[in-house]
Parts: sequence; structure tokens; C-alpha cells
Amino acid sequence: MRLTLQMLISHGRVARKMGLGPQSRINMLRNILTGLVRHERIETTQARADEVRFYAEKLVDYAKKGDTDDKAMKMASFWLTEKDLVPKLFKILVPRFENQSSGYTRMARIPNRPNLDRAKMAVLEYKGNPFPPLYPAKKENELTLINQLLKGYREQKNISKAAVSPEVHF
Amino acid sequence: MLTRTVCHVFQRRSASAAAAVRPAAAEIRSLRNAIFSREQARQRALYPRIEKIEVSMQGPGLDGTLLIMNRGMSTPLSCARHLTEHHVTTSVLALVDGELWPLHQPLTHSCSLTLLTFKDSDPTLVNQAYWRSCAALLGQVLETAFKDDFTVELLTVPEVPVTSGAFCCDLVLDPQLDSWTPSEESLRSLTRGAQQLIHQDLVWEPLEVVPSVALEAFSHSRCKQEEVEQKAAQNPKGTVMLYRCGDHVLLSGGPLVARTGICSQYEVTALHSLGHRPWGLHRRAQGLSLPLQLQAHHTVWRKLRQRAEKLVEVPKPEEVTPPPPVHSTPAPTGSA
Repeated sequence: MRLTLQMLISHGRVARKMGLGPQSRINMLRNILTGLVRHERIETTQARADEVRFYAEKLVDYAKKGDTDDKAMKMASFWLTEKDLVPKLFKILVPRFENQSSGYTRMARIPNRPNLDRAKMAVLEYKGNPFPPLYPAKKENELTLINQLLKGYREQKNISKAAVSPEVHF
Repeated sequence: MLTRTVCHVFQRRSASAAAAVRPAAAEIRSLRNAIFSREQARQRALYPRIEKIEVSMQGPGLDGTLLIMNRGMSTPLSCARHLTEHHVTTSVLALVDGELWPLHQPLTHSCSLTLLTFKDSDPTLVNQAYWRSCAALLGQVLETAFKDDFTVELLTVPEVPVTSGAFCCDLVLDPQLDSWTPSEESLRSLTRGAQQLIHQDLVWEPLEVVPSVALEAFSHSRCKQEEVEQKAAQNPKGTVMLYRCGDHVLLSGGPLVARTGICSQYEVTALHSLGHRPWGLHRRAQGLSLPLQLQAHHTVWRKLRQRAEKLVEVPKPEEVTPPPPVHSTPAPTGSA
């Protein structure tokens, strides 16, 4: 479980060990990130989703420099193994997150894999995608019976407070 | 001979006078019941042949649903029964062609129907109807709570907005009870009476009648007769709405909800006396209730209950009661 970067480093673990080695880890994350950019919402194990999330945000940050920037183009062509996604990154994702400076992704736990290993699973998505929302929209209605009763209660309390306060401080 | 006749006449007059003054409460109740049943049977007999009407349902997930129902026989509730059990249990009132319609009143023409619930985006009308029904239930409890020796006269139920914190029911008790002040136990026993009625899950049966029938039903109560005349004058159709819940027949100023079982939390909180008026010592019973779908945590309930004990001021009948303030835009997230 990742808490903070400082916690990870202080315990001598900078990143999770995944796959067959550092190179294999990078390749795996590249493939997952490519899938994320293509589909905008993917389902993987929780650890992989958590690792990819950092790179997914960083990729958008680099891409915000523009497609003429050398570094941004290098990053995009490295992390996206399918090259037809490079224009998508610059033309669709970057304009979508123009007003945001961070927090481009959202992660949610889903039930463990029904497979033999029962791995923890998660959903990772870029915000603003066209799919139905992950969490149900919270319904708050000021006009329901109990909210109206509470509104009347609050109003009366304010009135009685206003009536009492002039006598208290003089 | 003469003395015997005089005696006879006198006896008869005194007997009739006594009957006119105070028939037993149970007798009045059964009389009103009988009149209600008779009128209901007459209105049902107006549609001897089964004729079909088309009801188009409106609401989330129901657009385009067309139901073929029976004229003068099917109610909005029977339409809900054709949908799902969720619709049956949650719907409180119906909207027929934009007009409020009690859930148990038969449909008389092809129409578009919307079922209203407590969790709609704008439940103001439902809340008002719920408040009115709770006041009606309170009146029913108060009428049967006392012994037969004491008369209970229910007055016009004042329309209070929901934000005032409690629904109220005005009544005049027997003059012998003028010095009586209700204790906490007596309020609790009233609450128990109401909860028994809620547990029985009684139906509020609506019936639209001409004033003469209503006057006959309320022939023992001057106050109710005046109310009937007033309501009939206000209504453009010249009719009044009667409701029956169990064996209690009442006059209502607006539509009531479907069943008593809709209430979940119910408490009679106070019985204030308002001083002497033309009918006697006025008292105002107050209560607080919440429906099954919107229950409150006990801490919230306690606060609301404490507020409901305070006397609710009802604006004078001359003034128009301002409708509860409606926010033009509900919360932006509000989507069904």
C-alpha cells in the first residue's frame, strides 16, 4: 500500500517490484498506459493501476507543453506504444485538462478477481470520459420533507439567537 | 286524560331533545359511515358498463407506457400495480393532467398520469398533502381517545406550511374538561393510538360529493356544516371532498395521501389551549411525523420534536397563506 512518497523512500522502497525486473516493469506499465489512453477507462489489478496512475498524470503534464516541444514528443512516443494515440493525447486529452493542474485520473476499487489468485482489482480512468459515472451522483434535494423541517428549525434558531443576543452584550 | 297526553308529549319532546343534543359518538360515526357507503355505491353505479380508457404514464423510465384501464373503476393505484411493487409502495399522490388526484379516486377519462413520491425533485405538493393527512389522522385519534361521556368537536384543520415545524388540529372538548391539562402520559397514549392506526395501514378513501350529502353526514355538528358551506362556495364545481379512514369520515381541504402506513415516525407533541372562542375552549393539538422513505436519526428527531412542542401560529383566514419559499433551482446534482 502506498501512503506517501516520503514513506516509501524512508522504508527503502522507491517503487513496487513488478514483473521480471525493472525493464519488464517499465514495459508492462507502458502497455497499460497505452490501453488507458486508448480506452480512457481500464480495469487492472490494484497495484498496477496505482503504479500507472503516476505515469498517466505525468504524461498529460508533459503533453501540456505542446506537440512542438521536443521533450513532450519524446515522452509521448516512448509511453504510447501504439503511435496513432500520440495525436489523441495532444488533441483530445490536453484540451480537456487545460484548466486543471493535477488530478487528471480517478481510481476506484472493484471486487477481487474471481480467479484463483483473488487479486485486488481496480478501475483507472481519465476524468471527463464519455462513460457512465463510476460513483452514483449524490442526490441532495432541499425541498424534501425532512430538509424543509430542518430549514424551519434553523430559521427559528437564528431568529431566537438574534432576539437573545442584544441583551447579552451591552 | 289530559294529564296523560301532556305527559306523553312532554316525554317525547324531552327524548327527542336529548337525542338532538347528544347522540352517542358511535352512533354518529356509524351514521356518517352509512351515508358515505351509500353515496360511494351510488357513484360506482354510475358506470354500469365497463368502458376502456387510455392512461399514458409519465415519469422517469415510464415515458411511452400506455395502460388500458377501466373507466370509473381503475384508480391511479391500480395503474401503479401494473408497473412494479416499488411504484405501489412509494407513490403518495397522483397528478392527472396536471391536477392533483388522490391515489384511490377512480379515473374518469383518458389522461396522462404522473405518480408523485416524497423523493421527487419538487415534492412541495406531496409534503403539503402529507402534512394535511397527518393532521387528519390526529383528528381521528382525538375523536376516539376520550370516553363516550365527553364530546369532542373537531374544528377546521388549519393549513400550516411544513416549515412551521408541526401539523396541528383544532378541537373543542367537553365543557367538563375545561380545567384539564394534558400530561405527558396522555400525549403518549394519543401517540400510541395514532401508531395503532398507522400499523393497521388504513386507506383514505376519497369521495367527491355535493354539499347536501355532506350536510346530511355532518348533521350533528354546526361547525362542520358551516365548513361544508364555506368549502362548497370556494370550490368552482360546488362540491366538497369527503374522506373515510377506517370508520372515521372527515372533510378535507385538499387531497390526502394514500394510506396511513406511509407514516413511520409519528408523535403527538403538544395540546395547547387557545382561550375561549364562540364554540367553547379552543385547543390545538400538534404533532410531528415523517414518512417511511425519509426517516430521521434520533438526534435530529429530538430537535425537531422539541420545536414541534411550541405553539404554531396560524395566519388569520383572511390572509392568504404564503406558499413555502421555493428555490428556483434545486441542487445541480439532482438527477433521478
